[in-house]
Amino acid sequence: MTQLVPHIFNGLTLGLLFALIALGFMLIVGVMEVINLAHGSLFALGAYFALTIIGVDPIADTGLGQWWLSLPLVSRYVVALFVAPVVTGLIGMLLELCLRRTYGRAPLYGLLLTFGAGIVIEETIRLTWGTGEQNLTIPDAINGATFFIGSIFSKYKFFAAGFSILAIIGVWLFLEKTPYGAIIKAGAHDSEMVRALGYDLSKLRLLVFGFGASLAGLAGIVMVPIWGLRPHVGIDVVIPAFLIIALGGVGSFGGAVIAAILVGLTVGITGAYASAWSMMSMYILLIIVLGFRSRGLFGRASALEN
Amino acid sequence: MMTLSNISARSNQWITPNIAIMAVFLFTAPFWLTAVGLYDYIGLEIVIWLIYAMGFNLLFGYTGLHSFGHGAYLGVGAYAFGLFQHEVAVSLWGGLFAAVAAAGIAGLFVGLFLSHRRGLYYALLTIAFGQIFWFSAIKLRGITGGEDGLLNIPRPELNLLVTSIDLNNNVALYYFAAIILFILILFLWRLVHSPFGRILQAIRQNEMRASFAGYEVWRFKLAAFTISAMFAGMAGGLFSMAQQSAYPDVMAVHQSGLIVMMVLIGGGLVSFWGPVFGVILYYVARDILGGITEAWLLWYGLMFVLMVMFRPEGIAGVIHTLNQRFSKRPATQKAQVT
Amino acid sequence: MAFFEARNIHKRFGSSVVLEKIDLDFEQGQISGIMGPNGAGKTTCFNVLTGRYAPNRGTMTFEGRDITGLSPQRIARMGISRSFQIMNLFDDSAVIENIMIALPEFRDMRSNMIRPVFRDKMLEAEAMEILSQVGLQDVAWEPSKSLSYGQRRALEIGVALAAKPRIVFLDEPTQGLGAEATRQLSTLIKQLRERYTIVLIEHDMRFLFELADKISVIHWGQVIAEGTPSELQSNSWVQRSALGEIA
Repeated sequence: MTQLVPHIFNGLTLGLLFALIALGFMLIVGVMEVINLAHGSLFALGAYFALTIIGVDPIADTGLGQWWLSLPLVSRYVVALFVAPVVTGLIGMLLELCLRRTYGRAPLYGLLLTFGAGIVIEETIRLTWGTGEQNLTIPDAINGATFFIGSIFSKYKFFAAGFSILAIIGVWLFLEKTPYGAIIKAGAHDSEMVRALGYDLSKLRLLVFGFGASLAGLAGIVMVPIWGLRPHVGIDVVIPAFLIIALGGVGSFGGAVIAAILVGLTVGITGAYASAWSMMSMYILLIIVLGFRSRGLFGRASALEN
Repeated sequence: MMTLSNISARSNQWITPNIAIMAVFLFTAPFWLTAVGLYDYIGLEIVIWLIYAMGFNLLFGYTGLHSFGHGAYLGVGAYAFGLFQHEVAVSLWGGLFAAVAAAGIAGLFVGLFLSHRRGLYYALLTIAFGQIFWFSAIKLRGITGGEDGLLNIPRPELNLLVTSIDLNNNVALYYFAAIILFILILFLWRLVHSPFGRILQAIRQNEMRASFAGYEVWRFKLAAFTISAMFAGMAGGLFSMAQQSAYPDVMAVHQSGLIVMMVLIGGGLVSFWGPVFGVILYYVARDILGGITEAWLLWYGLMFVLMVMFRPEGIAGVIHTLNQRFSKRPATQKAQVT
Repeated sequence: MAFFEARNIHKRFGSSVVLEKIDLDFEQGQISGIMGPNGAGKTTCFNVLTGRYAPNRGTMTFEGRDITGLSPQRIARMGISRSFQIMNLFDDSAVIENIMIALPEFRDMRSNMIRPVFRDKMLEAEAMEILSQVGLQDVAWEPSKSLSYGQRRALEIGVALAAKPRIVFLDEPTQGLGAEATRQLSTLIKQLRERYTIVLIEHDMRFLFELADKISVIHWGQVIAEGTPSELQSNSWVQRSALGEIA
């Protein structure tokens, strides 16, 4: 049993990271009933933006570049942590403008459009940053290893997990405690009502999509030091995100977080016994849950079922 | 919006003008493929992918069930063919039978889980199962050869009564695959106009209404899934012959997404012939754009995005609209011959 | 025992009780009406009777056979057919195909994957016959989404009739229809009464009083009155709602 503890801890951290990945996806699917298959590509994009912001390769030789590079890594990293998601969010807004053509049609079209957009983004990444694996350098403060409950853990995992918790709380506060969140939740259930309240629905969608995309980008920056940065990292991300939402139930914030932790624990514990099969265990988990509860753990009825 | 039932509304013919045109193109292709700057192997690939895509569209376009993990069944077919050659006997028909049967059984099994689900959750479960097959193919190294796959899969001879034909020649294999495709097209054409096929289309439009009309909707969904998995299995068997190997890549979710893109761009949602346009466009684009730029997939993806935005009815839909504009015949009469 | 009987039907959704102790009898060859204000549980009652929801308690029998809790398709195949209030057609298909799919003969061919549907002239003739019963023979080959609102209502009824039902449940057939279309519908249902057993759910009281042999009034999830139209004329609830206080 005691040798299981590190695995459980590992699973918990992984679950928190999964939750971070799924947050933006959840927001978009919950509010707009759009399955954003470009989520993974936006995730990768966020990380590549951060890479460029930290290293400023295109202007590294100019005076400005030199000045920037002379700043300590920590400050460049923090700037990247804020700026890269904003830029990713802008790309997301651009995508939302394209998506407008599909509103009022079957949900399939939104899904297909974002799938295509995901390919376009991924290929653009290949053209811009090359196809090889890259490293996002992280400040020394969160680099290296540490001892915890008798095992070695990387400090970075602690940072990433803590960051996830902050992001989860942030999104939760935003949804629950701000009037803006109340509108978003109203939008989730009843677009008529949003209009009746006198809000501009198309603006709301634009912002939600932008916010969801920047969350994807943020998750990318936090995750790639663990998973590595390559153009197709997105596909490894969007599928678990998708799966977590299905498991938790569309439209349930708490459901998504619980599902993410459940998936993390499943993967972590399977990893202890059959590491080769650990990633597969989450699919089996999904099939078992959906076998008994067709809308996931906490799902509500949604237009996506039609 | 245009739908499948607008075009190809009613037909009771075995052979329609479109089927005849298809046959002409299909069986003359080796004579002009090189003349238009292509080569025999791409013809073979297109034919194999057409078998896959047309079977897929029975599920996707006709029944309205969105599978995003269909590559799994193509892969199962490919492995089954290869394993049959390696472990049982070098036999063409045996291998193809094994491919279709294995994919059909896999489809039936997965379909049992899926068929009470709808919409998003249906799509999701297809992805989850697709991933399981893909992971298994990579991890069960002893059976599948892991990431490298099964190598050295032979192309068995085609034994006819008096003679036997060596399929190691790509043109010979092309003709063999083309004949199979043609037979399957004839079958599908009958199927979509049969009571069974019409019920599938009714289910796409309104599942609840279909069940109140007395149909066990889930059984039809199961049957559609299994049939399309068997088509994929046949394509997989032929693909492993073409490639002389079977590998997990075709089962990856990306590949399963590509078949959806092909079928949609071609116009599978509005026409029986949609997948044909889609598959041809994909391979020609891959070869021509791919010859010009490394990033051909970028342009293909961009085209797909624009298509979903502005022409979701795909190439077949555009052709149909043009046809109607230049045709003086009333639309209903036209629908009968399309 | 009545042709179709519901006894002691209860239906809850979560904690709210929608139907409480409903008893209904429908006699063969009659037009029975169910009426009540919006939100009284009429449509839920209808959905329970036709198998969309299973009741939490109670039994339903059809020709003496227990049908409680059977799936919609089982119930449909026993000869119980229904229309939908929210019109629920196969929109992309031709009008005639909507009818054909509902025919029992078509249902018997459901696993046939080879035979072209439109080569079957018998099937087509039969579907045309039903279309002429509901006055849609001229638009048989149009896509059903091109029909007018009144025509869609008629097609809804046609689809319900195509199943060769032993009993037809029509859910608010006049909903959204103008005065003229309602009059036409009333004429149509009068013509059908000779051939079918019909149950009508309506809140248009005049329409129902003109057609029904027997009417049950549902309010607050219960049957509060029952009788022939003339008996009900004297019912205080009916009188009040006729004055427009409730309905």
